[in-house]
Amino acid sequence: MTLQQQLLLDLQLDQPPTLENFVAGANAELIARLRSLTDHHHFDAVYLWGPAGCGKSHLLAATANAASAKRPVIFLPVEKVLSGDGFKSRSLDGADVTVVSGSLLVIDEIQALDEEGQRALFRLFNTARFLGLALLLSGTEPPMQLALREDLRTRIGQMLIYEIHRLSDEEKAAALAHHAQLRGMLMDPGVVQYLLRHGRRDLPSLMHMLESLDRISLEQHRPLTVPLVRELMQTTLDTVNTDLS
Amino acid sequence: MREFWSICLSWFEQELPAQQFNTWIKGLRLEIDPNDSTRYQLIAPNRFIMQWVRERYLTQIETLGNEFFTHPITIQLSVNESIPESSPSSPELESITEAFQKTTTKTISSPKNTGVDYAKTHLNHEFTFDTLVTGRANDLARAAAQQVAMNPGTSYNPLFIYGGVGLGKTHLIHAIGNSIYAANPAMEIRYVHAEDYFSDMVRAFQQNSRDSFKQYYRSLDLLLIDDIQFFNRKDRTQEEFFYAFNALIEAKKQIIITSDTYPKDVQGLEERLISRFDWGLTVTIDPPELEMRIAILKKKAEAERVSIPDEVCFLIAKNLRSNVRELEGALNRVIAYAGFHGKEISLDVAKDALRDIISATNRQISLEQIQKTVSDFYKIKVSELHSKKRTRAIARPRQIAMWLARELTSHSLPEIGDFFGGRDHTTVIHACRTITEIKINDLEISNNLHVLIQTLKT
Repeated sequence: MTLQQQLLLDLQLDQPPTLENFVAGANAELIARLRSLTDHHHFDAVYLWGPAGCGKSHLLAATANAASAKRPVIFLPVEKVLSGDGFKSRSLDGADVTVVSGSLLVIDEIQALDEEGQRALFRLFNTARFLGLALLLSGTEPPMQLALREDLRTRIGQMLIYEIHRLSDEEKAAALAHHAQLRGMLMDPGVVQYLLRHGRRDLPSLMHMLESLDRISLEQHRPLTVPLVRELMQTTLDTVNTDLS
Repeated sequence: MREFWSICLSWFEQELPAQQFNTWIKGLRLEIDPNDSTRYQLIAPNRFIMQWVRERYLTQIETLGNEFFTHPITIQLSVNESIPESSPSSPELESITEAFQKTTTKTISSPKNTGVDYAKTHLNHEFTFDTLVTGRANDLARAAAQQVAMNPGTSYNPLFIYGGVGLGKTHLIHAIGNSIYAANPAMEIRYVHAEDYFSDMVRAFQQNSRDSFKQYYRSLDLLLIDDIQFFNRKDRTQEEFFYAFNALIEAKKQIIITSDTYPKDVQGLEERLISRFDWGLTVTIDPPELEMRIAILKKKAEAERVSIPDEVCFLIAKNLRSNVRELEGALNRVIAYAGFHGKEISLDVAKDALRDIISATNRQISLEQIQKTVSDFYKIKVSELHSKKRTRAIARPRQIAMWLARELTSHSLPEIGDFFGGRDHTTVIHACRTITEIKINDLEISNNLHVLIQTLKT
């Protein structure tokens, strides 16, 4: 009789992004700054930047969520900014502003703003002063390298600028172990080292591997060990190769 | 004597930009004292120009005079009395009295001298002449702005200020607005960005409130319009503005305009508008030189009640050259960093804090870049990094390149090994361990690594 595959209830532990479950590493000052932004007394303008996969969207969503209990929050994630809808649906111009005074405005991936979006953001900077708004923006480049309108680019350069610092491999290992623990995974300690040695070492890739491992180990009733990891990586590689050929 | 003055004129015409020559020198008249042939009078059209010429050009005129005449001469400056002068002898006093009269008369008719009124001006109270740092880059513009602030509508109308992004045009026109508001709170003042003017107009047209839009802009006593270059190809807006402009100028109401370029170079602007901008005075703001950037930082720090050592100001000012906004952003970052870490602001603290802004450490670095940089540095070929050669001269740079790849990219160790001529990931691990160990004791290697990282990151 073949070993029956365990059917899984789709009971994934829903882990919304929070400031607490972000592995701070060298970003402690940034996290503290974001925490202060959730408070309605703070009107800072913060810009954070880093390459894809460094945690920008996590931090923005986490800050927006935490702030929404204490102040009005408007969160424009990347899709809305790209389509330009985010701005158009709200009239941000001069007299009839619908953004409430004291709001926190969060916008992701500003390097992708088109002409219309840039104009909206520019005018928003001018409005922010009258209304008293806190701003949290993110992008992939530091302000000096943003390919945006110069008057907008320099306004971003005037904000408080934070680079999201990469985690060291040790910090990534700690993050993975922590995540595994939260999910109640019983994991061979060698697994994390194996992943760091053989796989892509950015946190989203690592986390993704860990999720897949957890699923497979439950499905196949096998403990989470290095041989299982090796197998999974081989399958992934095979899939990739088939896709390519 | 006439010959002397025409020599003077042609000298200045050559030495000064045309705009400055036209503003300050062309309108001057030289007269000889009928009683004394060594005494000359230089007559300026108004007191402001007289002051300006006295401070900047008089010495030069005297030098030219001493070269031309064989005997020493004296030159006195005065103002042309025959034309009623716009600038009063005691401008401050008069404008205050004037303001008082205006306020009292207006307060009787409508009690509106309140905070709400100030909000209606859309002025930023932080931008005043007091908070504006002056240097060679903006002293002309500032002097003109102050002159206009003292005598709105009568000295230079319109005042056209142009200069690059983030150099303080907006600060300057808010300063004029604030100064005029302080003296005459009852005046109808409005600061408007050209884009907002445009969208106000569009909305007015959509809502059929065109007349009240027109009425509003024509009823102003002072219109400050920022970034006129945004009128580019917006013909309807330009037309609307053209009529508002004419109405205001005719009624001797002050208009102040900013733009990122000289009026004639503003793209897509109608000729009739450009020619009208020439009616008043056009002044420029240049990028601030190092000393001025330092002064700006000190002023800003003072406002934040933070003390910043000179060398920190120097570091920031040296690295951020092009505009004032980024300069302020950098200073904010240093203050925040020191605050969070509970440290005094020092050169080291500033360097750490500015890393997020100045050096782009997170830039995506490719394996190709690393190999190219390392082989250039050690003067070997990229192909040798891929080769099987194991001589020290090749093997060490190869190990260094692998170490850099591990430190600076997210590639997996097998990927890195592959990229170095199909080596095993254990070779990469070995290389990384080796370099990590020797860089502790080998100063040369550690220095080379530092240089390589800097090169790759910039």
